[in-house]
Amino acid sequence: MAFKRSNVPGEDIKLAMEMTAKRRQLIDEAPATPLVYEYGVNRLAKALHPGFVKAVIAEKAPCSADCVKIVMEPADSGEFPYFRAGQFITLSCRAGDSFLSRPYSIISSPKEALAGKLEIMVQRKGIFSTFLIDEAPVGTGLWLGEPSGDFHHDSIRDRNHILAIAGGSGVTPFLSMMKAIREGSEDFRITLIYGARTRAHIPFDPEEFRGEGVDAAVVLSEEEAEGYMHGFITADLLKKYIDGDTSVFMCGPDAMYRFVSGELETLGFDYSRIRQERNSVGDRKVDEIKVFRLIVHIRDAVYELEAPNNETLITALERAGIPAVVRCRNGSCGFCHSRVVNGEYFIDLKDDFRRSADKKFNYIHPCSTYPESDMEIDIPIMNP
Amino acid sequence: MDKYDVIVIGAGNGGLGAACRILNAGKTCLVCEKHNIPGGFATSFVRGRFEFEASLHEFNGIGMPEEPGSTRILFEQLGVADKIEWIQLKDAYHLISEAEGYDYVMPFGWEAFAKANNQIHPDGEKYINEFFALCQQIRDAMGYIGETKGRPDPKVMMEKYPDYLACGSYSVNEAFEALGYPKEIVDNLNTYWCYLGADGNNLSFLHYANMIYSYFSKGATIPKYRSHELSLAFEERIHELGGDIWFNSEVVKILTDEEGHVCGVRLRDGREIESRHVIANCSPHIVYGKLLDSEAVPERALKLTNFRKLAGRGFTVFLGISRSAEELGLKDHNYFVYDTTDNVKQYESMKTIGNTAAQATVCLNNADPDCSPEGTCIIYMTTLFTDDAWSSVEKEDYFRIKNKVAANMIERFEKATGTNIHDYIEEIAIATPETYARYCGHPQGTVYGYESQYYDGLMNRIQMVEEDRFVPGLRIGGGYGERLLGFPSSYKSGVNEAGRTLRDMEKEGR
Repeated sequence: MAFKRSNVPGEDIKLAMEMTAKRRQLIDEAPATPLVYEYGVNRLAKALHPGFVKAVIAEKAPCSADCVKIVMEPADSGEFPYFRAGQFITLSCRAGDSFLSRPYSIISSPKEALAGKLEIMVQRKGIFSTFLIDEAPVGTGLWLGEPSGDFHHDSIRDRNHILAIAGGSGVTPFLSMMKAIREGSEDFRITLIYGARTRAHIPFDPEEFRGEGVDAAVVLSEEEAEGYMHGFITADLLKKYIDGDTSVFMCGPDAMYRFVSGELETLGFDYSRIRQERNSVGDRKVDEIKVFRLIVHIRDAVYELEAPNNETLITALERAGIPAVVRCRNGSCGFCHSRVVNGEYFIDLKDDFRRSADKKFNYIHPCSTYPESDMEIDIPIMNP
Repeated sequence: MDKYDVIVIGAGNGGLGAACRILNAGKTCLVCEKHNIPGGFATSFVRGRFEFEASLHEFNGIGMPEEPGSTRILFEQLGVADKIEWIQLKDAYHLISEAEGYDYVMPFGWEAFAKANNQIHPDGEKYINEFFALCQQIRDAMGYIGETKGRPDPKVMMEKYPDYLACGSYSVNEAFEALGYPKEIVDNLNTYWCYLGADGNNLSFLHYANMIYSYFSKGATIPKYRSHELSLAFEERIHELGGDIWFNSEVVKILTDEEGHVCGVRLRDGREIESRHVIANCSPHIVYGKLLDSEAVPERALKLTNFRKLAGRGFTVFLGISRSAEELGLKDHNYFVYDTTDNVKQYESMKTIGNTAAQATVCLNNADPDCSPEGTCIIYMTTLFTDDAWSSVEKEDYFRIKNKVAANMIERFEKATGTNIHDYIEEIAIATPETYARYCGHPQGTVYGYESQYYDGLMNRIQMVEEDRFVPGLRIGGGYGERLLGFPSSYKSGVNEAGRTLRDMEKEGR
């Protein structure tokens, strides 16, 4: 066949031959105005995901027997990013010889954050929470990682009614969601069931969260009191709150997840409609504590430190004062994605959220990985 | 250790390819990447029990080991081919177009595809065979032009490749008009238009013909472990060859000396690294608008960049489904769901945030049944925005708007395929132009670089590649490069720029 468009002999070929000259001419005619490289899309991307933000502790107030509320304000006239109610932020700072980072769910509503106030709840548990509660005075500077996580209501994925089950400081993402519904930045219904030992262990006022689209009830396990349910969060109790349009969100200790999941199973509740906020990966039980040598590469810098087999690699890095990137601390977000140069390690299956190619090419998330031998790893630089 | 022969900005496909080429030649090379993993768009992410592919629908140019395509050959030369496990795709696509009532599946393979066209037109096979003969000549001509390093003998061109020359100036629509094929055949051949994202009035016919020929003749593949496997294969190769990759290490400045020659880069934390050669795997908008001091940018670089048109801004809905593909009734891997196959109309309606007129949707389990746990499947739906519609979105409205667009796409797909998906969505992630801008920094969240335009198409760019560079020691490769967008193209363009950089170094050494 012969390709032919023009009836003028040779015209098609002439046009093809002239393409370059024509392009050159069009470039000549284009304006030499300065380039716009940051458009609205890029500005919004930056506003939603600003990376690390500097903040200071503005206020501290106890809110239960073992929980303290901490209010932060942006430092250096910066601003907090907008987020989805239910998301967490990571706080990082130097504490003594260590450089520590921990994730905390945000209590504030998205609009409160825009107004320059970000509140978290800290439950006394370990080294960082103790530091925040006892040692960090008002005015202490912190780095905040950007809001993260998919523990928020999604209008496509989730049903319109969220049955929220919480224990301990696990109530925080739900407080944010309830405020968000109230201020109009989220549009769904929520029923919170909070499990606590006694009234002294309740870190919020349930009365405050009863209204249009929002309800809160407390179940006390070690105390009977008027206006409170008593016992555990059982199938009988749960089924009162489940309608055909319900997704279950849980945030609290692992023991609560196991118990409530079992109860939901007896009700035949669809597994795919249950979301759990994952807890940090902590120390593990080992028969014998062994301490290994860990060589760490960050760009062209090399560090050598000790890493015991009962602690995650991130804990060893923090203890040695190495500013290591970490966000979720539960293995899922991949922010600390690192290359294993050599060495053996262990990752609990339930904490292994690595990509399949990471397994093939030997990459780990140090926040969920325990050493099983001397190791050499290459980690990304902490670059706030 | 603060000096490298070459610094590569960005560990996207182009940057990774470039680094391997440089290192294979025995030079030292540092790749600086702003994100914490390599790949740019060639990556994956995990939500719950699902691992989603971030961008790749299908990869062309790999072919079979015994009959390798050009990209497999390139990967072999770079030393990454053995590190990647490929899955060959069975069928090309399932096209559903509402306006014309099309609903059919097309296979890969020249002959099979030609025969399948008989179901849409009595003489379908004849037209396709004729069309492929034209494509073959275009491919051969491009090969010849490449062999002569862009200086073909006009006599040879006239004698052996007259059809190539004849259609060389035409858009896809002009070429199809000249060929005079029936509408059904043209519509079918236009199906892949959204892989290049320019409408048929502007898209260069040579470019498009070259691409569809590659798809139908060589078939398409996907990497077994998502495109993150490709990126890690390249990273491993770079380490094997003694190269360095620094993550969380954004380059904020390309440094030049008094003579205007590249002399290094500055990272966001202020650290400076010396090098006489930089290969940027990012947008020229960023290179000339931000990374270089304005005195180092010649006027013509601004003119060239202003002359170009930003291409499609990406939007993808990723779904982890708590039912198997079989239970849903989805049999195919690759669906194109269009309101109409008139891509000029489609292109126009994709300028605004409204009803999405076109989507390319993948049900990954139909290519790789093991890609998600038993009884589940992964579906992802992609569309493009052909204008800067997302720039006016306010942060307070952003989450609501992106869910609205996603819900609309899911509904469109359900309607087209007669399936129920929304009841079984266990995980969802939505990537908007903002998301692509966040991870890769591209202006307006474009995922397709500069649009393949009448005067800025494949052959134009290849022929003028030396004329389109301005700063000694600096070359730009990847999706914005001379071979335009797409996985194979971006690797090739990075490798080609690295080859040219090696020649620059050789010349300077003399």
